Amino acid sequence: MVTVFETRSEKAFVSTITVILILLSVVALIPLLSVIATSLSSKSAVDMNLVTLWPKQFTLDSWSYIVDRPDLWRSFALTLVTTVVGTVLALLLTALLAYPLSKSKNEFRWGAVLMIGVVIAMIFKAPIVPYFLTVREIGLYDNPLVLIVPHLLNPFNLIIMRTFFKQFSKELEEAAFLEGCGYFRMLFQFVLPLSKAVLATLALFYGVVLWNQFQHPLLFLQNPDWFPLQIKIRQFITDDNVIMSGAVSTADLNYNERTLRATTVLFAIIPIIAVYPFLQKYFVKGAMIGSVKG
Amino acid sequence: MAIPGIVFLIVFKYIPLAGAVIAFQDFSVFKGFTDSPWVGFKHFETLIDHPDFARVFGNTLMLGFLKLALVFPVPVLLALMINEIRKSALKKGVQTALYIPHFLSWVIVSGIVFDFFSLSGLFNIVIGWFGYDPTLVMQESGYFRIVYVITAIWRDAGWGTVVYMAAISAIDPQLYESAMIDGASKTRQIRHITFPLLLPTVLVLFLLEIGNFLDLGFDHVFNLLTPMTYSVGDILDTYVFRTGIQQAQYSFATAVGLFQSVIGFILVFVFNKLSKKVSDGGLW
Repeated sequence: MVTVFETRSEKAFVSTITVILILLSVVALIPLLSVIATSLSSKSAVDMNLVTLWPKQFTLDSWSYIVDRPDLWRSFALTLVTTVVGTVLALLLTALLAYPLSKSKNEFRWGAVLMIGVVIAMIFKAPIVPYFLTVREIGLYDNPLVLIVPHLLNPFNLIIMRTFFKQFSKELEEAAFLEGCGYFRMLFQFVLPLSKAVLATLALFYGVVLWNQFQHPLLFLQNPDWFPLQIKIRQFITDDNVIMSGAVSTADLNYNERTLRATTVLFAIIPIIAVYPFLQKYFVKGAMIGSVKG
Repeated sequence: MAIPGIVFLIVFKYIPLAGAVIAFQDFSVFKGFTDSPWVGFKHFETLIDHPDFARVFGNTLMLGFLKLALVFPVPVLLALMINEIRKSALKKGVQTALYIPHFLSWVIVSGIVFDFFSLSGLFNIVIGWFGYDPTLVMQESGYFRIVYVITAIWRDAGWGTVVYMAAISAIDPQLYESAMIDGASKTRQIRHITFPLLLPTVLVLFLLEIGNFLDLGFDHVFNLLTPMTYSVGDILDTYVFRTGIQQAQYSFATAVGLFQSVIGFILVFVFNKLSKKVSDGGLW
């Protein structure tokens, strides 16, 4: 009797938790649903407080307006290019340092010292002003390269890659060295092709930072031609003049600032939602590698 | 092979770190790091007496404390709950829904939040059903802190479970089997097996969080701020940005930044000592 009672109450316990979690997931998605509904509703429906979680007086006018903004597409293209180029270069730079650091003391004498240097760089964060002055001094002020160069090496990601490289067997490498293979060939022909898992994970980590970056362009970029997507979106959602600047001045517009803001936000979310399902397993794997080390 | 990476670390990490010495100088761009006159602790003295500083530092402490008390425990609870779901498809769905916000930038999150709380937004429509007058939540200083906490949870609590889920999956299943043979219920298993074995991970993450106590996320706060919420939402990071970058008071703002780093370091150090005393865990 006791066991039956136990399992029954346990079932109730598990299903209560399951229900709570499903509710939480739904609640987490409500703000998103509300934004979607707003972006697909007409100006008058929004002004009359009719729109909650479902579009009212359905219209694609906000979308066609946003999709027709060339300045938004320019920022989008710029961000896409800097993200892709930046990610590739970041993986390269990280691998070039992680590989020697994965070697033993006999092979790379300065490894231990360098490793301490990396850890110090990870723990101590420089105050923002000297950082700003340094980066400006090397010519990256108002230079679109600032969207790429400062992000090319992250000490935390470096340590993840080094840990991964350490598992490769020494015997294989020694055999290759006897054949006259150098360290560079070793890295590019043997090590990297066998490291796809960690490369994918770190590509995502670097990619998300590059795509979502806000502080660097805010600090360093003045010329609106080089504004990346996040700065552009920030302008759109905080400055009604910017977002409405392409509107024809007729009274019967089917959109207003609010529907356009909602559409802008979604415009920026869609690429992330689109790639997310393909990448989720790498994200999770990477976070776990990181947690074991960190 | 290592040279490009070393150059990067020197230029983007070590020179700015060494450049923190301008906190003890009257730095001028024309004279540079080396020739600017040394002034000792002058800027730190100005800082302590500055009325802005007390307000900004107080805001930072308050938000840091709220984050630690209200945001930090959420992923632990969520992970314990997610772990109890049996159907793996459902588990995956829940995890996906809770992870996604983490990949949205704070610009986007603030866009969603401002829309949600706007006059004709969902929040005001719903409170209207219950007869309340519309409130501009984002423009009132009284609500800033709670909005900060809720957005922090909304964006990152789900993602925060990943580490804990990994720690839970590493627990030996035999422990649960023998507990079940002894007739321990689910709740008792959580209380006496899962939670105690999760505690070391919680402790390490807690220590890391303490080290970041004053680091509230520039993007997060900056994007949620409006002129009407400055009195409670202006924090060290946003203050340094305004005084140091926009008003070019380089030495003064560096002093503020250095003060922030030193406090963070002391906090980690002290709490690491404490945690070693009460348990074996610690960061080093």
